[in-house]
Amino acid sequence: MTHPHSERVSPTVPIGRRVAAIATAVLVGAGLSLLAAAPAQGAGVGYVRLAHLSPDSPEVDVYLDPTGPNKPNFKSKVFGGVGYGVVSAYQIVPVGSYLVSMRPKGAPPNTPTTLTATVNVLAGKAYTVAGVGKNVDLGLRVLVDDLSRPQSGKAKVRIIQASGIAPLLDISLPNGTPIAVGVAFATTTAYQQVAPGTWSLQLKPAGSGTASTVNTTLDSGDVYSLIVLDDANGRLKAEVRVDARGGSSVPVEGVGTGGGGLRSSNPLAMIGIGVAMAAALGLLSVRLFRLSRRRS
Amino acid sequence: MNDASSPVAAVGVARVPAIGVAAVDPANLAVPEPAPMSEPAPMLQPAPMSTSRAARVRRPPRLQRQIELTVFAITGLLVLALGTLVAVGGAGERWSLPNAGWVEPCVHGACLEVGMAAAPGGPTRVQIPSIKVDSLLEPLHRDANGVLQAPVAFLRAGWYAEGVVPGDPGPAVIAGHVDSLDGPAVFAKLHELRAGDTVVVVRGSEPVTFQVTATGRYPKNQFPTDQVYGPTPGAELRLITCGGAFDEARGSYHDNVVVYAVAVSD
Repeated sequence: MTHPHSERVSPTVPIGRRVAAIATAVLVGAGLSLLAAAPAQGAGVGYVRLAHLSPDSPEVDVYLDPTGPNKPNFKSKVFGGVGYGVVSAYQIVPVGSYLVSMRPKGAPPNTPTTLTATVNVLAGKAYTVAGVGKNVDLGLRVLVDDLSRPQSGKAKVRIIQASGIAPLLDISLPNGTPIAVGVAFATTTAYQQVAPGTWSLQLKPAGSGTASTVNTTLDSGDVYSLIVLDDANGRLKAEVRVDARGGSSVPVEGVGTGGGGLRSSNPLAMIGIGVAMAAALGLLSVRLFRLSRRRS
Repeated sequence: MNDASSPVAAVGVARVPAIGVAAVDPANLAVPEPAPMSEPAPMLQPAPMSTSRAARVRRPPRLQRQIELTVFAITGLLVLALGTLVAVGGAGERWSLPNAGWVEPCVHGACLEVGMAAAPGGPTRVQIPSIKVDSLLEPLHRDANGVLQAPVAFLRAGWYAEGVVPGDPGPAVIAGHVDSLDGPAVFAKLHELRAGDTVVVVRGSEPVTFQVTATGRYPKNQFPTDQVYGPTPGAELRLITCGGAFDEARGSYHDNVVVYAVAVSD
């Protein structure tokens, strides 16, 4: 034996400690289990969509791949031939990390990527991963889409400015009331709370140019993106996307859905636990007492 | 629009001052990945005495056996106690943690697309095969205080008729009782649902299939309204019933059990 001294410890101490330690471990384990059983929250899913918002960039193939520990949870997906102005439907994905990558249209999957971005999807959250900017400085950006509930009686809308012919964009109502001033190309505004209803919006490059009109109806409780693009004739156009729908009438609090007819089994459970715990502790103390007497 | 004649007056946004704020925030790219699962912590290990046991021959074999029996008995009783807690909790009380994982969402090789069109008309039936629920649906409304009213019948679920129709984009809500005054009701086993379970809502003659993604239990005074009723891109469903301890004074359960599901196209 290499450590003879360690073996001369009197056996009474370790035995008592051993019993106590194991009992403690079991009790602690039981306590942790009780704690862990109280709250409950699922892992859930989030949403990811992909967009090509670079006016002078050619079509691309976009890949959505799970990464790291998330790999087994999701089958990779490819969007082929995505061109300027295309915004995919939201994809439901398990929470976790994803790599979004772009390759030239038709390029084999094993060829180097043009651009990549990582998006970490949280439960219930939504993301738009977009290729933005002019082709010379094309970048993949992750927009967090704040789909939280609008204020009561309001809709939410934001502007995604992807028009290359309007370095700065002004949006106003037909009577000239400004809605948004100087929205820079390749930026996105925060969502704004607006009154629901039918809107007519005038879009024009800041300081000059001809206004384009877009009409849209926004419903209470819903969330929208107004995507501003170049059209084929060098003019502004806008598309209104429904990012999410919530409905206009949201109840308060929870629901009273129980009469209590099944509650009687609860006291029984508590009694069973109490009896078993008391028995365990009693047995433990009796045994320890006998052990100590035996050795004294 | 509530008043189409005055859209301008209704504008709540004089300006959008946040313009130019580069919402395209590269910081989003830097969200750290969750740390890899570490090795499970070793269970409390007995002192390294196995190799040295021969040296400590003073312990009588009978004593040794008694110790082992004692530990065995204590462990057994505690396991029994825990088992009682988990298994005999009663319908309202019984609740174990949902699956942490998620069932492969790419059904039949195709990933879920959101925003599928649903058949017109209100829902008439909800079916949850894994807990043997097949119930007609009654329309539910809010009371004067804005609180969602539970179904009239204990054995029949209801859908929130002022909200999203199941199958349409957004969070549709179906509620049902966990028990009556006498015994189990339609959603007595709702808490047993786990991620991946299937829920079918019949709308007209068309079934809309949902897949459970998460479950939760919340005190009613901390009901997660935003999470349950908040806007969603695709068609989603929430199933709600009661759970937790029964408040004898108020005559109601303390918690609400919520099951979250998303529509799947198959």
